[in-house]
Amino acid sequence: MVGEVIMRGIMRYGILSWILLFLLPSLGTAGYKKDFEDAFLTKPWAGEQIEENVCISCHASQTMKPEFQEITEAWQASWHAQNRISCEHCHGGDPRDAALAMSPQRGFLGTPKDKDVPEFCGKCHIGILTNFLESGHGKALKAGEKAPNCVVCHGSHNIQKASIDIISEQLCTKCHSYERAKIMKVALFVIETRISQLEQRLQKLKREGIYPGADEKSLFSTQAEFRTLFHTVDANLVRSRTDEFTSKLDQIDKNIQDTYHKLRFRKNLSAFFMMAFACMGVIIFLLTKTKDE
Amino acid sequence: MLTKIKNWLDVRIGLNTIFQTHVLDYRMPKNTNILYTLGFIAVIAYATQAFTGIILLIYYIPHPDHAFRSVQDIMTQVPYGWVFRQMHAVGSNLMIMVAMLHMVTVFLMGNYKRPRELTWVGGVLLLILTIVFGLSGYLLPWTQLSYWATTVVTSMPTAFPVIGETVSQILRGGDHVSETTLSRFFALHISILPPLYLLFMGIHLFFVNRIGISATPFGKADEEKRPLTEYKRKTYPDGYPYYPRFFQKQMYMMMAYFTVMFFIITFLPTLYFPDEANVPADPFNTPQEVRPAWYLLAPYQLLKLIPNKFFGIMLQLILVLIFILWPVLDTQQEKNVLKRPVLRGVFLSLIALWVILLWWGRS
Amino acid sequence: MTLGGMMKRRRFLKILLAFLGSITFLSFAYSFLKFLTSLPSKSADLQKLTIHKSDVPSGEAKNIIYHNTPAVIINRPDKGYFAFSRTCTHLGCLVEYSKSNLKFICPCHAGIYDLDGSVVSGPPPKPMTAIPLKIEGETIIIG
Repeated sequence: MVGEVIMRGIMRYGILSWILLFLLPSLGTAGYKKDFEDAFLTKPWAGEQIEENVCISCHASQTMKPEFQEITEAWQASWHAQNRISCEHCHGGDPRDAALAMSPQRGFLGTPKDKDVPEFCGKCHIGILTNFLESGHGKALKAGEKAPNCVVCHGSHNIQKASIDIISEQLCTKCHSYERAKIMKVALFVIETRISQLEQRLQKLKREGIYPGADEKSLFSTQAEFRTLFHTVDANLVRSRTDEFTSKLDQIDKNIQDTYHKLRFRKNLSAFFMMAFACMGVIIFLLTKTKDE
Repeated sequence: MLTKIKNWLDVRIGLNTIFQTHVLDYRMPKNTNILYTLGFIAVIAYATQAFTGIILLIYYIPHPDHAFRSVQDIMTQVPYGWVFRQMHAVGSNLMIMVAMLHMVTVFLMGNYKRPRELTWVGGVLLLILTIVFGLSGYLLPWTQLSYWATTVVTSMPTAFPVIGETVSQILRGGDHVSETTLSRFFALHISILPPLYLLFMGIHLFFVNRIGISATPFGKADEEKRPLTEYKRKTYPDGYPYYPRFFQKQMYMMMAYFTVMFFIITFLPTLYFPDEANVPADPFNTPQEVRPAWYLLAPYQLLKLIPNKFFGIMLQLILVLIFILWPVLDTQQEKNVLKRPVLRGVFLSLIALWVILLWWGRS
Repeated sequence: MTLGGMMKRRRFLKILLAFLGSITFLSFAYSFLKFLTSLPSKSADLQKLTIHKSDVPSGEAKNIIYHNTPAVIINRPDKGYFAFSRTCTHLGCLVEYSKSNLKFICPCHAGIYDLDGSVVSGPPPKPMTAIPLKIEGETIIIG
């Protein structure tokens, strides 16, 4: 009897209950258990190819000095590692051939001397190298005076994404007063903050289903140019070009605003459709309640 | 004017007779309820998918270099492209839900029993086809989610000994998901599945019409006396006419379907689009959380739980087989599920288990 | 309710239904038509950039702005004029023409492109996006 009543209740309130049933299962999402991943993903036929890197195998092994073991750990945590830049991209050598891994035949460069570090990193980071060599820091380094090279501020293996916080009292006062560094930091601050705000807003836009490819590239380009410029350590230069960067950021900002405007229109249009269908449904339902002659 | 056209057609194809028998004189049993319209809603859902799919086909490009961009163009550049894309994406999930609900209600009302076994079999096959539609369509936008969810799903057959690898290779067209897979899934999605689906749908609807609508067993003595040893189409001379009563029910359920669809499009547009669904596929980067679509979460979670992968897959296949063949396996003549507490209990707990596995698979 | 009242109510409901139904249908039809006919590239065609041959001497390249994005036009001594978008296909930095190396070089991560836009080395996944151009007499029309 109870069952019958429940059954009838379900049928009677069918619409309500199945709207609930509609939405409930569809909120399902899933994670990814590691063992499943191991069983199904890290095989040769899975997309991600994990290649054997001979450098890592040796340097991470127990036979190595602890300092060398630390290097591989430090690199694993780095932004380079996340972008698949590994040992041979900077140091040369052959990551697939154990015998010739550190041979000059395969272009192995070893550890650069302090003075040569800028060119070492500048193999890839060309724009920054150019600006650095023109800067006070660069000239001092080449003249043999006490000066920072890339590694002093950015680290050697555990390199993270650059941020304005690298300019710190602790780091810069190694050679001179913090006053000069502070002036630089102030000059950079506004643009840097704006860039990270725009980054977040672009991320949010992506969540709404709009992929801002062109704006993302433009933002990256502006940020890269801005940070490259910093390496001249010339606060006046940075200040004089701030307007130029600001206008680029303004353009990106405007695009984002336009997109949000479009999204609001979309919400209104689909709400209109929803109301239209709901009203039609109600009307037909009412029509069933009246008798036709 | 309208009567003139009707007469013209009537002389040629006997339109009036068709209209008379199938609409005006067609009678539904007295105790049908709103859930009887779910099959019709499934047809409407399919038609919506077909229409919006064809519309999307106009701008979509099925190659990894262009797929994501073309979908983005549909969403941002083409006027009102977003309407059709959202309808298609939301509709695919709703359609699977409707098909599942239809199946559950048919089961609970015992409408799979003799003489309707074949209708049930056709229905389960249709559900499977719908899920394959969902699977193949999932890859097409070529997002991180598409790529990796497809990698996982096409890897599942490898749990089979001997033939597993080959099956996976055939599905993927190679060792990993690539442009071959995309072409393959695209061909499947737009040219192989639709005619198959229409064929099965036609057969299913033919059976429904030929055998006659089944009355619910609740509150009334079962009209169909068993056993049936010869064909007899079920009619209800004292039932109520299909038109306008039941037709109206179907119509407002259709409106309800679209209301739900547009509710989701308006207020929950990202419901089916987690973060990984918004960035282009990167074959070298597995995202932290790869989720198959919700309708595959329960089988997926089950597979994760059972330590032996072969057993895991076999179990699922056996369950599906039992489901397909249930009308034949169910030997009890009692149609009223309220009088069958064991079946009711087992079925409802299976559904509960499915939902629990789905929810568990979320994390 | 009287029979007459009932009939009036039915008529009202039916008219309302027809009205709503046609509005919905027309909205969809309008959306669909715009979907089919308004292709975005039409508006972009209006903006073409014209420069003179003399602005780009042989072996030199000139940075221009085309459709709000930085672009470059290069005069190759053996192959003529080419125009490309300066946006590097890696992460979006602006590539620079290097006359000494006869290549396009991206200052961010050393992506190197040949003068026909194809990738020589570095991280870029795709060649530079080419921009079509036409040469009419002494002027070059880009776009």
